[in-house]
This record gives sequence, C-alpha cells and structure tokens, in this order.
Amino acid sequence: MRQDIENSVIKLIAKQKSLNPSDITSESTLEALGVTSLEAITVVYDIEEKFDVEVPDDILDKLDTVHDIVDGVASLISEKE
Amino acid sequence: MKTPVVITGLGTISALGHSVDQFWEALCNGESGIRELASLPLESLRVKIGAEVPAYEACDFFSSDEMRLMDRFSQFAVISAREAVADAGITAEELRDAACIIGTGCGGRVADDESFQRLYLQGKSRGHPLTVPLVMANAAASQVSMHLGITGPVFVIASACASSAHAVGQAMAMIRSGLVDVAIAGGTDAPFTYGTLKPWEALRVMSSDTCRPFSRDRSGMVLGEGAGAVVLESLEHAKKRGACIYAELAGCGMSADAGHITDPSSDGAAKAIKAALDDASMNPGDVDYVNAHGTGTKANDVSETQALHQVFGEHAARLMVSGTKSMHGHPLGAAGALELVATVLAIKSGIVPPTANFTEAGEGCDLDYVPNQAREKSIKGAVSNSFAFGGLNAVLAVRAMDSV
Repeated sequence: MRQDIENSVIKLIAKQKSLNPSDITSESTLEALGVTSLEAITVVYDIEEKFDVEVPDDILDKLDTVHDIVDGVASLISEKE
Repeated sequence: MKTPVVITGLGTISALGHSVDQFWEALCNGESGIRELASLPLESLRVKIGAEVPAYEACDFFSSDEMRLMDRFSQFAVISAREAVADAGITAEELRDAACIIGTGCGGRVADDESFQRLYLQGKSRGHPLTVPLVMANAAASQVSMHLGITGPVFVIASACASSAHAVGQAMAMIRSGLVDVAIAGGTDAPFTYGTLKPWEALRVMSSDTCRPFSRDRSGMVLGEGAGAVVLESLEHAKKRGACIYAELAGCGMSADAGHITDPSSDGAAKAIKAALDDASMNPGDVDYVNAHGTGTKANDVSETQALHQVFGEHAARLMVSGTKSMHGHPLGAAGALELVATVLAIKSGIVPPTANFTEAGEGCDLDYVPNQAREKSIKGAVSNSFAFGGLNAVLAVRAMDSV
C-alpha cells in the first residue's frame, strides 16, 4: 500500500513539474524539485482526488519531502478506515 | 499641445487566422470567419454558429507548463501581444517600463465552466487550485506582462464590448501624460463555453445564420473569440528608435449612456464620437472611414447610424462605414482592438474593408456601408466605434501619418 502511495505521489509531482518519475525519490525535497507553492497545492489537490482524502491546511507547511507527503497520505487513509 | 501618440505594432488572433496578415487578407477579401461551432455540442444549442479561432492548438504557441497556467483568453492575449511587439521591433529593454492594459469582457470562462461542471454536475467536493489564477479578469494582462517582461503599470479594463477601446484610450492617456513612453494595449475574450453561450442565447440578440450589419434582413450578432493588441508610443520615442509608424492614434472619446443596461442610445454614442474628434482636433470632414460597432442587431445598427448623422451632419453621406464583425464576429473585449487594427491597416494600405454578408440596406440604415467589396481609397482620418452593454462607449480616432 505504502509503495502504491509513493508511486502515485511521485507520478503526480513528475506530471506537475514535467520531470521523469525516476528522477524523484522518497528523500527528494519539494524545494529541490523546484515545486512552487501553487504547484504544491495542485499536487495536494491531485492527491485528495486520487485517494479521496481531505488534507488539512495545517499539514501543508510540514510537507518538505516526498516521504512527508506519503506519510501524511498514509495516515489520512488509515484514519478514514 | 498634446504629445502625439503613434501606432507602431499590430497583433491579432481571430476567426480570420492566427496573424495580422491572415486577418487583413480575409477582411480585404470579404471572407467571413463565422462557421458552425466546432468546440461545443451543437444538439444542445439553439445558436450553432460562432467566429472561433480556426485550427487553434495551444501547444503550437506555449509549453505545457505555460499552457497549464493560462486560460484560453490569456493565451490569445499573449499571442497577439507577442506579434505586436515583434512587428514593432521593440526591444525587451524598451518594454521593461512600458504600460500594458488589456481589456476583457468575460475573463477565463473555460476554467470557470470546468470548475462549475465538476462541482455541480459531477458532485465533486473540491475546486481546482488553478481555477482562480486562470479565471481572474486580470490574468491576461498579467500573463502578457510576464511573457514580455513588462514591469510598468499593468492592469485590466472590463467594459464589455468597449473593453479594448477603453484600454487603448487609457494607454494613450498615459503616454500623453508622460507616465510612460511605450504601451501595449488591446483586448481578449474566449467566450465559447456552454455556460457562457446559453445565457447569450437567452438575450435573443444572436443570429442563427450569420452576421449582416446594417442589412434589412439582419438577424443579430454572432459571438467571436480572439485578441488584438497594438504597440503605442510617443511620436518622439518612435522617431528616436527609427520605428516604422502605421498611423497616429489621434484621439479617444468616451461616454456613458446612463440610460438602460442593454438598450443602446444614439445620444451616448454620438457624444463619444464627438469627444474623440474633439480630442483629436479633427473636424467631421477630416474623417473618411468609420469602422462601425456594427453588431448586426436590430437596435445597434439603427442607433449607430443615427449617431453618425448627429455628429457628421451632411458629411455622413460621404463616410465609408463598414461593420467588420460580419467577418471576425463579435469577440466582446477583443472587438475594439481587432477593429482598431482593421482601421489602422485601412489607413496604411488605402483599402477599406467591406461589410460582408450585406444584402440590402435596413430601415434607418442609410449610409455607405461598403457592401461586400473592399474599396481602394486613400484615407486621411478614421474612427473606430465600440459601444458596450451597460451603455459604456469608447471611440478611437486615427489619422494618417503623412497628415500629422
């Protein structure tokens, strides 16, 4: 499950930044990938749509790496279940 | 003495093509860009025609990253502004402190429509984060500033069908005041979405066959899309850099009917035309050509003809008046800019574009509407009329350079 989430998150970021998914790892920071705040909230929107979760505003500031996003999504999904 | 302002660059994208050359060639040939709508499901529309930009693929003009951040109306604005700037041969350095004023009647309708479909039709619970930056009315002006590196005064004017004429007038005023030496001005609209078209149908002003301004059997207006832009500069600035000058933007006249929200007033229109001539220090007899607002609605064409009689008196009979919306349709906030380009090229080339689709003159329409055939005629002075819903009028006066 976690791997599925990670693959999806990487794919969504890659699409947003027109990058090759293989250039993005779990440790990549959004800053290093050049993700602007508008792009970040667009990725969050895509994630919400894909996983049917609601990402609260206060989590947004804490998302530095791909790993953080995957963690957040995983915990939102487990809360839902 | 007012600082003379000149036009040194032109850009268009419209139903008549993706460039000024295509636009002008079609106008001179009396070819109409009004066709069956390609972008919407026809079975659910009462009005099935429009003046859409043909064969438009955003990816021919923009990278996928750029496209994602621009609604269709912003894309058109940037395309026309780029062409105008390239045509003017002006440098990035000279543009940096320029003004940029872009009119729009609608703003970004495509993203708005998609957003409403998601929320109301598909029952989604969240909006898309790019909707606001795509639909906001100033997005087109902002995108032009970003693509061209313009850091001077940049804003939008929204006065429906008069938006771009107001924009050009304001840009001229800024140059005259000494605030800027150079300005990009124009307008853009892309109203072909289901949610935009349906309310237009309901107004019962739209033709279901074609647009024939001033004709007896005219059946209404035809919506269009596109953008027009001009580069304006002080005569002094243009001369200093050795620019090729199309014509002088000699004056702008504005008025409000203060009457009815949709019914036009000949008095309001006449007041704006008169104000444009006064601003340009032109006499009625100095005007050879009028690019009419000429929407092809019952109300406009009679009211506009009356206004021309009011202002020009006996000289009205000698005016050549053409309604080029018969060819490029009515692209709302882009109309005034496209028609200014047509007016400028008429002066520059000595060819008057016709009123296409003309059959016979309608009741109360008794001027020379240059029916169906372009006319070779030297023009010293011209005016371009824009009269908006809401009774907001803006008229631009243009003068040939050799008479400056």
